[in-house]
Amino acid sequence: MKLKDVLLQHPERRYLMFGGGGGVGKTTFSAATAYWLASQGKKVLVFSVDPQASLTDIFKRDIFGKGPVKIMDNLWAQEIDADSHIRSYQDEIRKKILDMYGLPKVPDEIENYIQAASAEPAMEESAIFDAVVDVVMQGDYDYYIYDLVPLGHALYYLSMAKVYDEWINKITKLREEMREYEEMVSRLRHEKETEQDQILNELLYIKNRINTSAGILTDKTKTGFFFVVIPEAMVINDTKKAAQMFAKFDVPIAGYVVNRVIPHELLQQKIPDYLRNRIAMQDQHMAELRATFGDQVLALVPEMERDVTGLPMIEKLAATMFS
Amino acid sequence: MTEPEKAEPKKSLWQNVSEVIYGMAAHDMSRAALRTRASMEHLFILITMGDLLGIPILPPYYSLRLLPYVVPQIATWKRRMLREKDVADTMF
Repeated sequence: MKLKDVLLQHPERRYLMFGGGGGVGKTTFSAATAYWLASQGKKVLVFSVDPQASLTDIFKRDIFGKGPVKIMDNLWAQEIDADSHIRSYQDEIRKKILDMYGLPKVPDEIENYIQAASAEPAMEESAIFDAVVDVVMQGDYDYYIYDLVPLGHALYYLSMAKVYDEWINKITKLREEMREYEEMVSRLRHEKETEQDQILNELLYIKNRINTSAGILTDKTKTGFFFVVIPEAMVINDTKKAAQMFAKFDVPIAGYVVNRVIPHELLQQKIPDYLRNRIAMQDQHMAELRATFGDQVLALVPEMERDVTGLPMIEKLAATMFS
Repeated sequence: MTEPEKAEPKKSLWQNVSEVIYGMAAHDMSRAALRTRASMEHLFILITMGDLLGIPILPPYYSLRLLPYVVPQIATWKRRMLREKDVADTMF
């Protein structure tokens, strides 16, 4: 089956993701797919969950931290600025403390904690993870295209959803037990109503957000995850391993797209052995890819004659990708 | 007519007595319940804000959301957690 047919046959898959090792073309394919869908009249948002996002480079537009930026008709792109997201989140927490207790300033100890927590290594990923929930819930796009982080990080991103989920379930349970004790006291004292537990409400809110984000990542009907591969031994081995791991996290793998295939037409020309050998090498790896993934290999995209940046080049690449 | 009039003060007396007894028993129970709840509250803060004592916790992003609600308890909680006693002692 072809990539084009897969997308056309499953219009209910509104969340498309491109994953793969570093530098294989995740951003390129995300942009090309977004471009193609937009040119089919669909309203598309392509956004990056990578702190080192490169949508800015591919579209040749400064979109970092600017919210959804319109690239052309039906096509918007967004790069989440994790740092500023964290800063405004911190301010929100500070303001809440000041408002709740009528304090003139946040106590030093609490302030230190706020700052220390934000320096945690997981903070940036968590902030992006959380921001994605807003992106996906607020917009009214037909398609959301996730330009993912390289494989190792993506696994971390997925496992984060599971860790969060377990953590939140445990503490929500504890909180509910506390609530039972509180209600018991209220009954014994003949008080009509127990004060609302705001923490429990907050926990349920967090739980809802995490479930939304994690739900999308593992929903087979709404989500399609595509692996980007290039015909090279190392990349293929990494992809095989990653595919197994992703399957464990219930990621709905929709197919494999091969990038940077040297065109066979070159063999008709007078080309140096160097190139001839590389074509032979790629043929061997392509055979392996077909043997391993079978008809899940959806598209072959040739090595381009120059960088894929700017809309004309994206259009050209999309044309072959969705031929 | 006289009978109900007599019965009522009797009933209210009995009610009073039972309320006193119930109150006495319930007071202890509610005190115990409140203590257990306080212990759980401290456990809860430990799980969510453990970083304040240098105990790494997961994940800091969402625990920050809960921080405003526990601000008043943090001082007591720290004192209790850092007291030179076995943790089990503080439970009872």
